[in-house]
Amino acid sequence: MMVKTYVIGSGVTRIDRHYDKNYLALVDEAVSRALAASGLDVSDIEYLVVSTAFSETMLNQADPSTYIAQNLGFRNLKTLTVSSGEVSGAVALDYAHALIKAGKARKVLVVGFEKMSEYPSWVTNKAYTKILEYEVEGIKNVTPPDYAALIMSEYMRRYGVSREDVVKWSIKMHENAVKTPHAQLQFTISADSLGRALRISEPITMLDSHPVSDGAAALLVTDESATKKTGREPVEVVDVESSVNLPVYLRDDITYFSATAAAYKKLSTKNEIKLSKTTAVSVYDTYDIYGLLIIEALEICEIGKATKCLDELPFLNVSGGLKARGHPVGATPLYQVHELCELLSGASWAKYDGDVALAQVMSGPDNNAWLILLKRWA
Amino acid sequence: MRHPGSRTGIIGWGTYIPVYRIKAKEIARQWGFDDRITDSIWIEEKAVASADEDTVTMGWYAARSALVRAGVDPSRVGAVFVGTESKPYAVKPSSTIIADALGISTRKLSTDLEFACRAGSEGIRIAVSLVESGTIEYGLAIGSDTAQANPGDVLELTASSGAAAYLVGPANESVAFFEYLVTYVTDTPDFWRRDGSRYPTHGEGFTGEPAYFHHIVSAVNMLMSESGLKPSDFDYAVFHQPNGKFPLQVGRMLGFPKEKVLPGIVTPWIGNTYNASALLGLAKILENSKPGQRILVAPFGSGAGADAISVLVTEKVLEKVGRAPTVEELLSRKKYISYAEYAKFRSLIYRNLG
Repeated sequence: MMVKTYVIGSGVTRIDRHYDKNYLALVDEAVSRALAASGLDVSDIEYLVVSTAFSETMLNQADPSTYIAQNLGFRNLKTLTVSSGEVSGAVALDYAHALIKAGKARKVLVVGFEKMSEYPSWVTNKAYTKILEYEVEGIKNVTPPDYAALIMSEYMRRYGVSREDVVKWSIKMHENAVKTPHAQLQFTISADSLGRALRISEPITMLDSHPVSDGAAALLVTDESATKKTGREPVEVVDVESSVNLPVYLRDDITYFSATAAAYKKLSTKNEIKLSKTTAVSVYDTYDIYGLLIIEALEICEIGKATKCLDELPFLNVSGGLKARGHPVGATPLYQVHELCELLSGASWAKYDGDVALAQVMSGPDNNAWLILLKRWA
Repeated sequence: MRHPGSRTGIIGWGTYIPVYRIKAKEIARQWGFDDRITDSIWIEEKAVASADEDTVTMGWYAARSALVRAGVDPSRVGAVFVGTESKPYAVKPSSTIIADALGISTRKLSTDLEFACRAGSEGIRIAVSLVESGTIEYGLAIGSDTAQANPGDVLELTASSGAAAYLVGPANESVAFFEYLVTYVTDTPDFWRRDGSRYPTHGEGFTGEPAYFHHIVSAVNMLMSESGLKPSDFDYAVFHQPNGKFPLQVGRMLGFPKEKVLPGIVTPWIGNTYNASALLGLAKILENSKPGQRILVAPFGSGAGADAISVLVTEKVLEKVGRAPTVEELLSRKKYISYAEYAKFRSLIYRNLG
């Protein structure tokens, strides 16, 4: 019989600039909440998989999984750290998923964290730019918002989309974040602010970009044997897929996210699903323009028309996305899964009656795209 | 119960703002910043000390105005404190130079104080205690700075030059007497300059919420709690002004309407004068106040600490305003300079001498 994988409990911290907490304190908070939600005890955990993108550069800490285990009082278990840039959290969950499927473990704790506010912004920006290829882009001072600026300019030109239309994405994200207790930017914005917003890389402004965030998220991933203990409905991790794109400078069309599209094609064919405008999706909108391109690559909206269908998507980034919920990089994909689990189990502010939900995760402008398909407990 | 310091008050005050100004947008353009950055923190222009001005010359001018307004013979001043983070000598007091130039008695306490932007107000608190205890008759507290900023750092948009001085003495002679004085201090590394370093370093966002806002809010709440006063009891509130935006923001957090905060804001037109910042704002309020009005003044210094001081204006203020240049007169007296002239005046250009 095929083994199924479930998220039986999850917990997150409020995303913020946590000047008063180190990464261990943030992780401790998230894990305590996840354990309480799952009904499991520390001694039940067999495997600890930790996700972080920048612990070595920002915190001078190699393999934080060992120190997280020590701090949480874990002893008899295996630990490892996954560090795969912006997709670290998706890779960590895939690893846990594979462990369960392979029968190597039955109860895996997946933890993601990031502390991005430890240093002034030039240090943070230098670290964050390492998600791009250092020898090609980093060394020439091409930064992530520079690519977003190129892509936004080309998208607006090609499809006749206005600047005000693009920022509708951010406006919607902030509206959702106001209703999300753990979101970082809990305030609304309007297109009127565009003229005053500080430019990061023309035409990208602060209104288009994710903030600098600290946070931690934890998921209890198990086989079916542990699902009876949880007080909340478990959510099935049906599948995790991924695909890699060409470098931006070699793409024929920089406004089409083909890695996300390819991963979606594999996932939808294998699992016989098709996303609709009312399916719950959580996507990696590091910049608002990327959010638009992702929902086009996922075939939710027509190419070049995403700004026109935003109002028809009630379950798009219900937490406010990276734009407004925040982007504690190594933890972000786990926040996405936590939020979708809350949606599927009825714990979210949004009332969702669909059976499946999808998290889309990517590194840079679709350099490496991952999809996580979740399903309501049947 | 009588609150410590309440038998003392401000006998005279004086200020100094250098005549030169540089537009903040010119600095932004120099370094390729987005022009809108100056609007986002509300800074229009800043005052620049000339090549022959420093903390001592500016502090002397402000102190002299304070003594003139007070009408007190310098020989009766028993203490001189200079709060600064830009003293001309690393070792040698600025306060002694100013005191001697003013003709203040040799029988005195005299020292320079350092606590980022709030050493000047710490000087006021020490002078208050010395007067209250009967150790001295009058004490002079000066806040004066030619603030440094790393060229190209966002701090350069605001770091400026200026001075303010207050003569503290018995309440019955004062233009405004102290009602309550409290101070809130923690170890918070939001802004610093290490020994040997030419320019300070700051923690960007960390200078805001956990530093400026936390300390001012804590100090003011401490004063409100101990005094039983509330924002509606005050006619004006003056806060430290690293930029034009922060004092309005902290006023809003504490429940002060904009109308009570705006009259004391000077930074958008002269920049952040560091140790003179809140004290210049207080001077501007005093010069426009009516007897019986109550003023809250809350200086802040990185490192970090904030004071909250409640003063009540007396009738004596009216006759003293015109005895020396007012803040508004100093604000309107200005000459614009280029970035190159600014760089020359502030010794930002490295050259071989001799």
